[in-house]
Order: sequence, then structure tokens, then C-alpha cells
Amino acid sequence: MEKYVITLCDGTTCIQKKSREIRTALEAEIQKAGIADRVAIHLSGCLGMCAKGPIVIVNPGYSMYGNVTINDVPEIVQEHLIKGRPIARLTIDEDHLYNRFFRVFGDADFFGKQMRITLRNCGIIDPENIDDYLALRGYEALAKVLTDMTPQKVVETVKKSGLRGRGGAGFPTGVKWELTAKEPGPEKYVICNADEGDPGAFMDRSAIEGDPHTVIEGMIIGGFAIGSNKGIIYIRAEYPLAIKRLEKALADARKNGMLGDKILGSDFSFDIEIRLGAGAFVCGEETALIHSIEGARGMPRPRPPFPAQSGLFNKPTLINNVETWANIPVIILDGADWFSSIGTATSKGTKVFALAGKIKNTGLVEVPMGTTLREIVFNVGGGIPNGKKFKAVQTGGPSGGCLPEKYLETQIDYESLAAAGSIMGSGGMIVIDEDSCMVNMARFFLEFTQDESCGRCTPCREGTKRMLEILTRISEGQGQPGDIEKLERLGNMIKKSSLCGLGQSAPNPVLSTIKNFREEYEEHIHQHKCRAGVCTSLLTFEILDSCVGCGACKKVCPSEAISGKRKEKHAIDPQKCIHCGQCFMACKFGAIRKG
Amino acid sequence: MNMVTPLELIRKKRAQAVGRIISSGYLSTKRVYVGMATCEIAAGSKDVMEVFREAIAGGTLRDVYLSQKGCAGRCNLEPTVEVIEEGKIPVKYGRVTRERAREIIDRHLKKGEIIQEWVI
Repeated sequence: MEKYVITLCDGTTCIQKKSREIRTALEAEIQKAGIADRVAIHLSGCLGMCAKGPIVIVNPGYSMYGNVTINDVPEIVQEHLIKGRPIARLTIDEDHLYNRFFRVFGDADFFGKQMRITLRNCGIIDPENIDDYLALRGYEALAKVLTDMTPQKVVETVKKSGLRGRGGAGFPTGVKWELTAKEPGPEKYVICNADEGDPGAFMDRSAIEGDPHTVIEGMIIGGFAIGSNKGIIYIRAEYPLAIKRLEKALADARKNGMLGDKILGSDFSFDIEIRLGAGAFVCGEETALIHSIEGARGMPRPRPPFPAQSGLFNKPTLINNVETWANIPVIILDGADWFSSIGTATSKGTKVFALAGKIKNTGLVEVPMGTTLREIVFNVGGGIPNGKKFKAVQTGGPSGGCLPEKYLETQIDYESLAAAGSIMGSGGMIVIDEDSCMVNMARFFLEFTQDESCGRCTPCREGTKRMLEILTRISEGQGQPGDIEKLERLGNMIKKSSLCGLGQSAPNPVLSTIKNFREEYEEHIHQHKCRAGVCTSLLTFEILDSCVGCGACKKVCPSEAISGKRKEKHAIDPQKCIHCGQCFMACKFGAIRKG
Repeated sequence: MNMVTPLELIRKKRAQAVGRIISSGYLSTKRVYVGMATCEIAAGSKDVMEVFREAIAGGTLRDVYLSQKGCAGRCNLEPTVEVIEEGKIPVKYGRVTRERAREIIDRHLKKGEIIQEWVI
């Protein structure tokens, strides 16, 4: 007998329309029919068809049923699951681009809670074959724009969709387009910011490697909307595969008449070139990025003028992030109204996150705005491995903050995350468990931003250096009373007075961990104690009475701090101990205490 | 005057693209997709791809359409391989090695057995 997977939309609207009651009825009906062994029920996140909810999908075959009521349940079970006859009466035929992903991955729990708009083709198509992209309505948005829309109409559509910049700052994309469109031409530039630099983040790389054409299509539409003929993709040289696939995609698009003179037989001409960056974090900042393309040193400059007025080579320039561009074709094809129906009041659409750290399902996820942190960490991410306790989640990479458990109900959108003391950022999300030390965590991120500070403005250059010195001494047990206050004062000063986003956000990991985990800082300073056992300088090692005198610890100790006769209890000389922890790992009897 | 609009042109191109995909064997009974993003390659997907390629080139595997794909986001289970058959639920395998790829060929692609313990 055929096995079936039923997917029930578990989005807010569908729940209001009694999707959960339908689930209970389905389960009961399936039980009654005695087919529970061959039917599995999964829940999905919002499927974006709220008007037709509740939505029930039956696989294989991908029958999508809409406006389902409890009365329809027996028919679904009898007709479809038992007799194998899909029910035409309930079938809705609404073809959204993201459906494709759902067709392949919809039955896996990890993917079910997601909604893939920008990553709709990632993992579905061959990224090096333009035919695969064309087959899934590729370049149709571009053709629609060139056939039926004026540049003003395109700008209006993007504005109406409520799309905001996915690079982190969340500036309304349509407004940016409008400002650039207003400037006099003819020379204007369109730039794709693919200078992804947050440690542990790989959203843009995966998007380009999985589906390069969608970014290209978005940029051509942007060029048409603002009246530009020249696009540039700024990508870091350390992404060789992404670059190779982009080059292939650009060549294929040119060959097929989607790039170059008179695109698809219209009067619009546009071409794109790739510029490689050397991998400086600050070049993700738009003015620094522009300097880097111009051949100058990658350093930011004060704004205004904004790139919309005076950008690359002092011409009006439209800069958007990879993910922002990837949203454009969907907005054009599925409409601004549909797009703005997804998400929260202020943040529309979806957001891609690179889920990493102490989490079961590390990976790339795309969820609708408004999904809570708890849903991402515990449903999509599968929770914390090895039975450990959740401690915090860090969003926004080195520019973001650490949010402890009490913020888990926070909804993902630009405003809510800011209110909780973090930022959306470009999409890094690192989960921290009880084995991590928050002081050390903050020090790691600050070390990164301090290293990447371009040195142009004093608060960032000097301030981050001083903060790092203080953090280092705290983690080495040399912290002084007043250090926490000093960090807070310095941090707030750097935030207020730095030139660009790098400095303005660099103190965030420190300030947010002080706010939420102040007691850990105090323990480090006053009691010279690291509760997670991470800051090795603060650890003491002691051999307990259960020592059998095997000598394993003595053998591995690099500083010869352990002494003792065979078969007798050994001892550690604290003067010689360098806190490396080798003995702790070598002991098979658990006879060494770390604390 | 333009007789063909960009929209008509792109629809024609799409039909041609679909035609090309079909003529490259897309309608085979089974379609196999191997993840080939940087992360997947780092986890060893090139080896896996090679096993499938060799099996098809050597003639031991027939009626199978092989393609690469980007990252689906399942990082800790890479390399991933999907086996798709029309009318059936797509099967997604995780942590595929050369050895597992050979077994997938022997057991799943040739005999139709789904190897449950590797399914994501």
C-alpha cells in the first residue's frame, strides 16, 4: 500500500481557522481506518496562502487542499488515503515559486517550519544550468517588467511590498530605489553587496552557489527601475565556487539575451561585472565597498551624501544585499500584496539565518518574519544537543547581541530584535549552551571587530582596542573592580561616536552580555571564577582521594606540575600548573576536579 | 515595431529549456541529485558524485537522471543526496560517503529499497 505524508499548515491564520482541530480529526479518522502505519502527519510554517486556509497537502502527488473543514476529513481519508483518488473539489491550484522547495523537502520536519522565498531554488535546481532556472519561471519576472511595467511601477511595487534591506540595517528597499531613480542619469550603478563577513555566516554564499540567476535577475530589474545600464557584484575572493557559478550564470544569461544590449528584444540594455574583494569585514559597509571598487582603500566615509545621490564614481548608486536582490523576482511575479501578507506589521517576507553553535540541526534556514526565536532554536533547529541547557542565542554576528532565555518568545523582525537588545543583522544566529562562557564569547567577537576595524576613526580604532584589553584581563583573572562600568562607558561612547556601522555596533556583544549576564562578569573579576570552565587561567585543578596512582596525568602534564608515587595519590603543584587541563582529560577515573 | 514581447520570448525560451532538460533524460524513472555547494564539497560530495557518474558511464546504472544541486541547508548531514521518483515521496539521504553511494546504487536505485537509517 502507498505511504502518505500529510502536511498541515500551522501558521497563525490557519490555526485561527481551526487547523489544529482538523489535525485531531485527521488523526482520529486515520486511526479508525487502521492506516496509521502508512500515514505520517507533519506541520509546516505559514505556507503563504492564508486566504485559502486551512491548507492540507497530501504527498506523494502534491495535492494541495484549501478551505478544509472538519467535515472534509472523512472524505480525505476514505477517498485519497484509502482509494488513492485525490479530491478535485478541495484542490486549489495556486502556484507559488517557493512551492517547488516544499514539494521536495516538505515532509522533513526541519524544512517544514520554513518558508523559502529567496532560497526557493537552492537544493532544487542545478545552479550551473540556466535551463533548470528557466524551467521554474526563471527570468519571467524580468520579462514581465520589460513587457508590462514602467520603471515607476516597478519602484512602486517594491515599495508596496514592504521589503527591507536584508544586509542588516533594514532600510526600506523601495525607498532606496525611489531615491536612486529620482537622481539624474544617464550614468548610474547597481551594486550587489556579496561581501559576507560575519564569522559563521554563509547565507549569501549558499544563495549564490545554489541559485545565482535569481540574484542576477533581481539586479537587472533594479537597473531597469532606476535607469541604470551597469551592475557590479562585489564578492569576496575567498568564495571561489560562488564566483565560478556567477561567472557561468552571467555568461549564460548573456548568451540567452537576458544581459547585454536590448534585453529580450526590448530597448533596455544592462550588463553586470564581478569585482572581487580581498575579504575585509569593513567592505560590507556600503561606502567602504564603493571605495574598494574604485580602487581606493576600503574605508567608509561620512554620509550624507548617500550612495543614492553620490556613490560609485560619484554617480547615483543602488546598493542592495544578495538576499534583498533574490526577493525581487518573487515580488514581481507573486505581487506586492502577496509578499506583504507574510511577516509582521513592520517587517515583511522571510529572513534567511545561518544557524550554528550548540544546536542539533546546524544549517541554513529561511523563516517568515514573526517566527519566534524559540521556534527557530527548538523546532527548526531541533534544540540543544547532549541534553545541555540553553543559555543564549546570539543574533547579528559580531554586531549583534546575546539574548538569554527570557527573550525566546521574541518575534523575528527588525524592531522586536532591536527592542530586545540585539539586531537582525545579516542573519548569523549562534546558539550558546551552559558550557559557554559569556565573557569569553564577548571577547571572541570583539577580537574580530577590533582586528577588522579599518582605523579611520578614533573611537573604533582606539576604543575597541581598550575594551579588548579589559576583557582579556578579566578572562585572565586580572580584572579590577570598576572594569564592568568602564566597559559600559567605553562601549556606549564607541557606539555613539564611530563613523560607520562597524564601530557603531562593535560593542554590542559586550554590552548585551553585561546586561544579561552581569553576574558572570562579576564572578570573573571578584571571585576569579569561570562557571563554564572556559577561561583556563581561572581554573584550578585538584586531585581527589579517588586517585589510584596510575600516573596518566603525570605523563601528560607539560609543566611537570604533578608528582606522586605509583599506586599512591598524586598531587598538583599550583605554582607550576599552567591550567592547560591535559590531566583532567587524561584521567580515566574522574579523580581530578576542575573548578 | 517589436512583434514578440519579452514575455512571449521568455515563455518560448522556457519551453525550449524544458525540452532540453527532458532530452537529457529528466523523465528517467529515478532522478538523483547530489549536493555540490562549497560546504557539501568540503564534506566529500565530489567523491559521491564520482561514484554515481561512474556507475552511469559504466552502464551498471540505467534509466537514472543525475544532476547537481546547491545547498539545501542541512549542514550537519552533508553530503546530501536526493532520490526522486514521480509519484513517490522524495527520499533524502544524509552523510553520504563513497561506500554509502555504492549501496544506494545497489539497494535503492537498482532494487528499490529505501535505506531508512540514512534518511534525513
